[in-house]
Amino acid sequence: MVKRLYKYLRGTYLGFLLVLLYSPIAVMIVLSFNESKTRSKWGGFSFKWYKELIFESPDIIEALKLTLAVAILATVISVILGTLGAIGIHAAKKGYAAALINLSYLPMTMPDIVTGVSLMLMFVFVNGFISLPRGFWTMLIAHITFDTPYVLFSVMPKLKQMNPNTYEAALDLGCKPLRALTKVIIPEIRPGIVTGGLLAFTMSLDDFVISFFTSEQNNLSMLVYAAAKRGVKPNIYALSTIMFIVILILLIIINKRSDLENIS
Amino acid sequence: MYEDTKLIELKSISKSFGDTEVLKNINVYIRRREFVTLLGPSGCGKTTMLRIIGGFETPDAGQVIFDGKDIQKVPPYRRRVNTVFQKYALFTHLNVYDNIAFGLKLKTPEELLPNVKKPSRKQVKEEIDRRIRRMLKLVKMEGYEKRSVDALSGGQQQRIAIARALVNEPEVLLLDEPLGALDLKLRKEMQLELKSMQQQLGITFIYVTHDQEEALTMSDTIVIMNGGRIQQIGDGKSIYDEPKNAFVANFIGDSNILPGVMHKDFEAEFAGHVFECVDEGFKENEPVDVLVRPEDIMLIGSDVGMLVGEVKSVLFKGVHYEMKVDTGDFVWKVHSTTMYPAGSRVGLSIVPSNIHIMRRMEAEGKIEA
Amino acid sequence: MKRSYFAGPYAVWMILFTIAPMIFVVFYAFHTTDGGITFDNIIRCFDATTMKVFLRSVKLALMCTMLCLLLGYPAAYILASKDFSKYKMLFVLFILPMWMNFLLRTYATMSLLENRGIINTVLEKLGFERVNMIGTEGAVLFGMVYNFLPFMILPIHTSLKKMDTRVIEAAQDLGANPFRVFARVTLPLSVPGVISGITMVFMPAVTTFAISRLLGNGNFMLLGDMIEKQFMESHDWSFGSALSLFMMILIMLSIGLLNRIEPNKGEGGGKW
Repeated sequence: MVKRLYKYLRGTYLGFLLVLLYSPIAVMIVLSFNESKTRSKWGGFSFKWYKELIFESPDIIEALKLTLAVAILATVISVILGTLGAIGIHAAKKGYAAALINLSYLPMTMPDIVTGVSLMLMFVFVNGFISLPRGFWTMLIAHITFDTPYVLFSVMPKLKQMNPNTYEAALDLGCKPLRALTKVIIPEIRPGIVTGGLLAFTMSLDDFVISFFTSEQNNLSMLVYAAAKRGVKPNIYALSTIMFIVILILLIIINKRSDLENIS
Repeated sequence: MYEDTKLIELKSISKSFGDTEVLKNINVYIRRREFVTLLGPSGCGKTTMLRIIGGFETPDAGQVIFDGKDIQKVPPYRRRVNTVFQKYALFTHLNVYDNIAFGLKLKTPEELLPNVKKPSRKQVKEEIDRRIRRMLKLVKMEGYEKRSVDALSGGQQQRIAIARALVNEPEVLLLDEPLGALDLKLRKEMQLELKSMQQQLGITFIYVTHDQEEALTMSDTIVIMNGGRIQQIGDGKSIYDEPKNAFVANFIGDSNILPGVMHKDFEAEFAGHVFECVDEGFKENEPVDVLVRPEDIMLIGSDVGMLVGEVKSVLFKGVHYEMKVDTGDFVWKVHSTTMYPAGSRVGLSIVPSNIHIMRRMEAEGKIEA
Repeated sequence: MKRSYFAGPYAVWMILFTIAPMIFVVFYAFHTTDGGITFDNIIRCFDATTMKVFLRSVKLALMCTMLCLLLGYPAAYILASKDFSKYKMLFVLFILPMWMNFLLRTYATMSLLENRGIINTVLEKLGFERVNMIGTEGAVLFGMVYNFLPFMILPIHTSLKKMDTRVIEAAQDLGANPFRVFARVTLPLSVPGVISGITMVFMPAVTTFAISRLLGNGNFMLLGDMIEKQFMESHDWSFGSALSLFMMILIMLSIGLLNRIEPNKGEGGGKW
């Protein structure tokens, strides 16, 4: 009896925290379907704000295009850089490998705002020599920079799990080094590569701070920030709702592949 | 017994990793169709030697001769040797069939079918299939083609690893502690199977292990290594009966090794007594190591015999008893089917032919094959 | 070709886009707009206005960390307990927000706390007075706790889950009652998780920007907001860089300090 009460109390506590964590999001989702423009009144269910989002908000569509283009390209490039990086580090001598791994931790420990500011300063400087306005390209470079360590750290454990002789076994059976890589190593670590890619894509879709400093063109998060400073508008609710759902789905897929708790 | 041709010859091979010298001036040759075991404790350099033959390591000095040619510069994927790796290193993204097919698919159609002019795709596919099935039969794994290698037991993975290497018809198969991860019973079965496979296929096996019993069971020739040097080369019996030094004696079988002095030919002093022996060719009063196998000591009733001592402990070992007998100067390990209880006084008797005199290890220089 | 060369492009990229940009920050921090060397920007980091902002940032971050610990430890403990650890998805729900856009979540919080927001509407309907929430320090703190709570739960949960249950059984076997087991065994063993939870909450909390801007109506400028202001509004990049350096040193010092307490740096935090 006491035991059941105890369990019930603990469950209630968890429930309370979940409400705390998710109620703002839930409220926002509900409000995105509110016909009425004021939050205090429920004017009935409607897709009005979603329609407005798609048909009457060219700036949002622009931001969406930018966000997707950066996310896709950054994912592809960081997957290539990160996978090759992981393979290289795995094969490298200890000192060199440790140095590179510490280098990879750097952008993860550095506050986002400092990363953003430092890249911004460099881009502005470079722009003085070659034309590199802060926009798509600079944002892409910045995203690749923070995405790649995620790929690297998703692939590294797979390489470590692999039998150290696997690569040699491929050579032994007649593969030239490059072929051994594409025919054996890459397929063996593919799960890690895919997880890393998904993570990179999510991080990129999701980023606000670093994009804010490295680009003058808005991505979706920057747009939300700009709108939020002016006050709340229901079409931004609709946009946020869509972003939440997409990111939630991506995260659940990633979690299915490898426990999210191991990737922080 | 075999065609007496040297297939592989290692000449003055040395290799260091950083500051540690793992191989020191190794000289050894391996004959065609021979089953050679590289035996030694971990860190003795045996795996490195195998990897040099496989092409995964380059020696710092010396030559690797294969079939009369120096193959130092030949990369592993062009060597006519295949390897069964420690813990198998199977490709987990491929099933059993594709693991075995891996090497075959890398060969050109002409290599696969030398007798057919311009072989068709279908012919190649059939040839690969035929060879894989023959291999599966050889390793007794028919019916497992479509299985994922992760779903196999250790012993089954072992068989697939062997099949994957053998299907390429190498002239030499290198095996790096292939049975290390298996349990004792399975290991014994696989030892016999490997030996019969080798005889059936008539190819050279080079086998690395730290298990002396395994080495004795399977090998034509055993190369005993320690500290990067070859200690002795020979067949199992000669190594057991005539170990060249205390290390070999200790490593192969049970032994009593004690310091002694060789007074003159056929006369040695150890454990406080002068013994007659069958060894000769030592310097006068040369310090030596003396080996007496525990089963070569006879226990006789008290107070007779050359040495007298007290039984300190008795262990029942199944076929025999193992007793520790303290004679004051030395505690002897004795194997006997008759049991003397702890505390009883016994006499020890050793016949001259069972006393084996060895040069001191420090004095051992380079040991030639 | 050696396989270690494959890391080349990655190494070059990371040096080019993480190390090199830092040099610009240092350069700007010590230079005037016309290129002369100066320490004024660094000195300005210690003047009264900046110190006020700095102290406020640290105060709010510490309060946020405390609250997250108080709320998060029991949650992690319950989630790791036998009764609840079988619901894996429950735990995932708690840590999912870690990867979700903090801006969106802050934005969502706005709609709860606003003067005409949900809470006030409900209060009004129930016959109470509206409460002015947005624009208060409490709202900023709420936003920070709300955003960073999962970062506290994850590492503590990991350290509790990793704990050998036999240790606890052994303590019970030796006669300890549940409270003693917790105080003498569970709690000390989870210290690494707590330390890394503190790190993972304090770091983003002390460097955050935008949260205070949105929930505090800009009334409570934090270090992050101050940096943003230098770059986006006042265009004083030199001072902005100096502040960024200042922030980095603050972070390094806190990491160093926390590592001192727990040398084998905790589970989850920065570890993969």
